[in-house]
Amino acid sequence: MKRKAFLIDTTRCTACRSCQVACKQWNKLTAEDTVNRGSYENPPDLTPQLYNQIHFIEQDRGKDMRWLFINRRCQHCADAGCVKVCPSAGALYHTPDGLVGFNQDKCIECHYCVNGCPFDVPRYDSKQKITKCHACIDRVQNGLLPACVKACPTQTLQFGDRETLIAGAKAAGKKLYGENDLGGLGVLYVLDDEPDTYRLPKNPAIPASIFFWKDVVKPLGILGFWGAVGVAALHYVTVGPKRIEDEPEDKSPKGGE
Amino acid sequence: MTQYVERFNALDRVLHWIVAITFFLLLLSGIGLFAHTFFGYFRLFGGPHQGIMVHKWAGIVFFISSVLLFLRHLGETWRFDADDRRWIVKAGGYLSRKKQGIPQGKFNAGQKLFGLFAGLATIVMGLTGYIIWDPTAFTRELTQFSLMLHGAFFTLFMIAMVVHVYLATMGNPGTLEGMLWGHVTKAWAKKHASKWYAKMVKS
Repeated sequence: MKRKAFLIDTTRCTACRSCQVACKQWNKLTAEDTVNRGSYENPPDLTPQLYNQIHFIEQDRGKDMRWLFINRRCQHCADAGCVKVCPSAGALYHTPDGLVGFNQDKCIECHYCVNGCPFDVPRYDSKQKITKCHACIDRVQNGLLPACVKACPTQTLQFGDRETLIAGAKAAGKKLYGENDLGGLGVLYVLDDEPDTYRLPKNPAIPASIFFWKDVVKPLGILGFWGAVGVAALHYVTVGPKRIEDEPEDKSPKGGE
Repeated sequence: MTQYVERFNALDRVLHWIVAITFFLLLLSGIGLFAHTFFGYFRLFGGPHQGIMVHKWAGIVFFISSVLLFLRHLGETWRFDADDRRWIVKAGGYLSRKKQGIPQGKFNAGQKLFGLFAGLATIVMGLTGYIIWDPTAFTRELTQFSLMLHGAFFTLFMIAMVVHVYLATMGNPGTLEGMLWGHVTKAWAKKHASKWYAKMVKS
């Protein structure tokens, strides 16, 4: 099946936050008490009740003020750190469309995904189960757009066939973030500045420790264990055990026998 | 006259078997977190939540008893003399049927290395285990690094354990008795630990 993806053109975003509201409505997420921090950005970060968030970058330039907005959410990576570290098969998974879904019934509350995500996305809710953007899998499977895309009035958020979206953006001369990172992100950004300005990692990657654990230690460990068992068995049938009976009768230095 | 010498007293033995039992409890209850390939092992404990709980409690018992066991034998294990170096060069004579007969103390050089490794590994597992006890308590980088180190030392410990179990049972008949009821035969002691045997005879 062809991969589906979001295309988020940040240059079109007016920070109306319809996406935040539509997401809450469709996913039945409750509103949260927040405080005024002197910014229209609200809440300040993803929460268990907020699967996508308009992140404000407010730059004071003397007389001028620069305002950048970016829709933050799960990036639906092909090579997803969360899926890689999750010990419970099926708690985090790729749909046939290439989106990353989750199943709270299978979540064992280990929090490994929180540490494995290069974008700091997964959150735990009050039941101590994982939550994050699941690209409205229930809607997508029924031929509908994700709620946030449906609600977006400026076409900042687009959703569809990944190849088509990339081709379209390139034809329009736009530079994409996430085309090839982590096996290709399921959320492609058109940015108005460098990724660091948007607090996105320049070269997102699975954390080195996680890579080393899962791709080096694990295979070598399994190999080492069975190797050791094999060497022991081989030793037993070739060299054989050190039997005491082999010892010549009392030739050793006189003990107190 | 008895044909046995005492090798391990009751405290040594009880401590060793507490360490051994908790080691295998930790192995079975933790391997499901190491990789999802082994997730099915949680069924032994009734599910992942129970498995993780067993892992935490067994971890505390293992850490304390393994450190105590390490300290009890440290007097013997930390010193390596010329015979030990010869033993290591010749891999303890395990590579051929020819008799090597390198005189060894209470523990041979291989056992000393295993004892030191087990102590080090226990401390690493304990420290990293403390950090990942609550995976959100410390910074992401420290937690990731600890998870990796916990897994790496688990595999090393597991490989060392295969060697330990083989050499203490099938590989060297008569050895296991020393850890079961404390006594080994004099013939065993002369063959495997002649320097220790000579000392025991003198005293």
